[in-house]
Amino acid sequence: MLPAECSRRLVAELRDALDSCAELQRQLEQSLRVSRRLLRAWEPAETPAPEPTPGPEINEEAPSSACPPSPQDLKELELLTQALEKAVRVRKGLSKAGEGVKAHSLKSGSTSPATRASAPPSTSHCAGSCAPGTKPPRGIRHPWVPAKDLPGRRLLLVGDGAHMGKGAGANKPEAGLRDQQIIPQAAPPVPEAFTLKDKGALLRLPEAFRKAASRNARLWAQLSSMQTGDSVDAAAATAKTQFLQKMQTAAGQPGSRLSSAEVGRLQKACSLLRLRMREELTADPKDWTQEYRSLLTLEGLQALVGQCLHRLQELRSAVVEQPQGPWPEGPPRAASPCGGGADPMWSPQLLLYSSTEELQTLAALRLRVAMLDQQVHLEKVLMAELLPLLSEQEPLGRPWLALCRAAHCLLCEGGQRFLTVLRDEPADRLSPP
Amino acid sequence: MGRRRRRQPDPADAARALPEAIAALSRTLPAAPSPEIFRRAKFDRPEAAPALWRLLFHVLSPLSADSASVSFTLEAQVRWVKSVLHSQGYPRLALVQLQDDGSQGGRELLLALAWLLARGPLPERLLTQSHVRLGDEMPVCECEALASPGPPAPRVEAEGSVDIRHLQWLMGKLQLRWRNLMAGQQEQCALLGKIHSYTRGCHSDRSLGHLSVTETELLRDPEGGRQLLQRLETENARLEAALEWRHRELVFWRWMDTVLDTCPLEASPPTFLPRIPEPGAGAAGLPVRELQALQEELQALQEELRKAVEARRAAWQAAVGGHGPEWRAARRALQVAVAQDLAALQWAWEQGKGQARPHGPRRLVRTEARVPGRLGLWATEATEALRAREACLEAMLHQLQGQCRQELARLVGVRPGLIWVPPPAR
Repeated sequence: MLPAECSRRLVAELRDALDSCAELQRQLEQSLRVSRRLLRAWEPAETPAPEPTPGPEINEEAPSSACPPSPQDLKELELLTQALEKAVRVRKGLSKAGEGVKAHSLKSGSTSPATRASAPPSTSHCAGSCAPGTKPPRGIRHPWVPAKDLPGRRLLLVGDGAHMGKGAGANKPEAGLRDQQIIPQAAPPVPEAFTLKDKGALLRLPEAFRKAASRNARLWAQLSSMQTGDSVDAAAATAKTQFLQKMQTAAGQPGSRLSSAEVGRLQKACSLLRLRMREELTADPKDWTQEYRSLLTLEGLQALVGQCLHRLQELRSAVVEQPQGPWPEGPPRAASPCGGGADPMWSPQLLLYSSTEELQTLAALRLRVAMLDQQVHLEKVLMAELLPLLSEQEPLGRPWLALCRAAHCLLCEGGQRFLTVLRDEPADRLSPP
Repeated sequence: MGRRRRRQPDPADAARALPEAIAALSRTLPAAPSPEIFRRAKFDRPEAAPALWRLLFHVLSPLSADSASVSFTLEAQVRWVKSVLHSQGYPRLALVQLQDDGSQGGRELLLALAWLLARGPLPERLLTQSHVRLGDEMPVCECEALASPGPPAPRVEAEGSVDIRHLQWLMGKLQLRWRNLMAGQQEQCALLGKIHSYTRGCHSDRSLGHLSVTETELLRDPEGGRQLLQRLETENARLEAALEWRHRELVFWRWMDTVLDTCPLEASPPTFLPRIPEPGAGAAGLPVRELQALQEELQALQEELRKAVEARRAAWQAAVGGHGPEWRAARRALQVAVAQDLAALQWAWEQGKGQARPHGPRRLVRTEARVPGRLGLWATEATEALRAREACLEAMLHQLQGQCRQELARLVGVRPGLIWVPPPAR
């Protein structure tokens, strides 16, 4: 058993690591859920479709749903109804072949509004009842065409589906009960639910959204350009500096204080220097200029490391001198290096990839780097705790051996492989047969 | 929008300027109290204090604070704000002397807020943090992909001593989690690739070309789309307020001068007694361990560099004979080049600017390979950079493990009568 203090620290570190992973996993799973759902057939049942006015900003450009359908609409409706009836007939024919393919799609549909139950007859029924304007058949007005002028509605089937009393789109032929999907005017025989794969290229973003997004981009650009000074900014900058100085002098505190920002900078320096050193050491100089350059660089890096160490010593001695104030416990773990170096201003930056493999490689590498980073940190922590423990303990008993073996496993093999300990019996102890 | 700077100041304007500036500030900061609270804070009115504590808490904590703040009492928020301000180097002691229940100190809090505003582009940074991401984002900077902790969640503290096997078990669990993560990530990339290629040609912005998951999702789910739109419009309002703030902030600073003047001067520190220091805690709440670790790292680095330099210098001296006079000029040029290089490196950590490329997550865009003129980072380049970092980390890990092996060998070496059979090499 490990001593309590040591145990607590190590368990806390490992739990932190586990929690970070769990958080990543949670985010990943959420993204996966969303992506998978998008790639399946889209269910029209998400919206409470019978709502005549689904939010003004989305339906801005839709003709007012309150006015009674015009004769032209009725005619369209009639045409569409005919097309649908034909579709039903065809579908029935097909469904004989494809019966019972996927029972679950029936279930999935069951969550939608109950109007669905009466399927084919309701087509004509609906045409009759909807037309007089009780529920304006929005969907009829907007038959499923790749219309760029369809703002808020996604192109298809949503409300339409529900109006027809339809249900979840499954893109498998089913017993013709439920699938009066609106079909394009060209009326191919088998109507399908919306899938991204087939019809994704026809989607268009809603107008209101586009406007808001472009306004957003414009505002960010304006804000970015404000950073590059003008006279107002210069005056404000001076005022700010003066204010800060005044705060400092009014405070009566000694000027230089160890701040985590300074230490953060040194940590960053350390990692940048190390990275650079690795690059130099692994590079292969082709001629003497490169060799010399490499040598100079390494010497320069050495000097910089010396400077950092010196600065660190200074800071540490300053720390020792200062009285400890009644400050409550600081925030855990210094901010990540990116946190300090991050651009304060957002700007649209793109990451371009041309194949899924490229993307997967990049993502896998990112995770691997994060994992290695974590492993290095844990290794250091384990070393700091376990090695002193082992050297302190004297007795050469079983527990110590077990501890050694376990420590070796954790520290030297990343917790993956064990060594074996054999007791070396002197030969004369063996009893002859 | 830029012309108004040269206008002659109008007295009526001057009276309005400060409230408008404060109003703009209040509109752009998240969870900011009404402008009236700011005014009351100057006069140290009690009702101003809790609102300002909460504002500071929101402003100082990273993005996850929205949910976290619900679980924090005002007192916990107060203490956390105090410690963060201290670790950032906040000069005034009056802040820490305020009571933890958050009932007093409006004026001091106002000064703290102004201090934060003066030090950096705070509204912009907050807006960037909470920016509504419309694309599929992936960070490619070489920093941690793991979440950095915000305010410490109130956690049930662990028990006493554990067996080392518990640690081994936890390590195993960690490895399993990583493996799951990697598998899940691969799947997600495949799905993204599909979605991007299926929606090619849909986006109104030609430079993007296809829809992102967020945008496609808003088409699938209009209700979610409405919410997204709302968030976008809120952000737009805050952006406009930030622009207005930038135009008007001068008058705010003049006002803050007057606020500072109304404060009594602070006494110098040594008069109060320090609290019982935490074991291993240095000033500013920095654990001595961290400093020690950093020192050791730097020393290890120095050692490695020393060896490398010695070897190379020796090799160089041996080979240098056969170079002619053009050598001296070339040498000088090289020295200058290397000096510049290293200066740039030093600048990178001094100024707090990361790499040459800006940081932050980037929007993924699927595009034909190597179309010239595309502005953006190519995945292949980003991969290269990450490989370098991977190699560096692997080397570091192996070096540490080697160190442990040596140390353990030394420890067990003194005990005769045992044979240690290492596991088979991979």
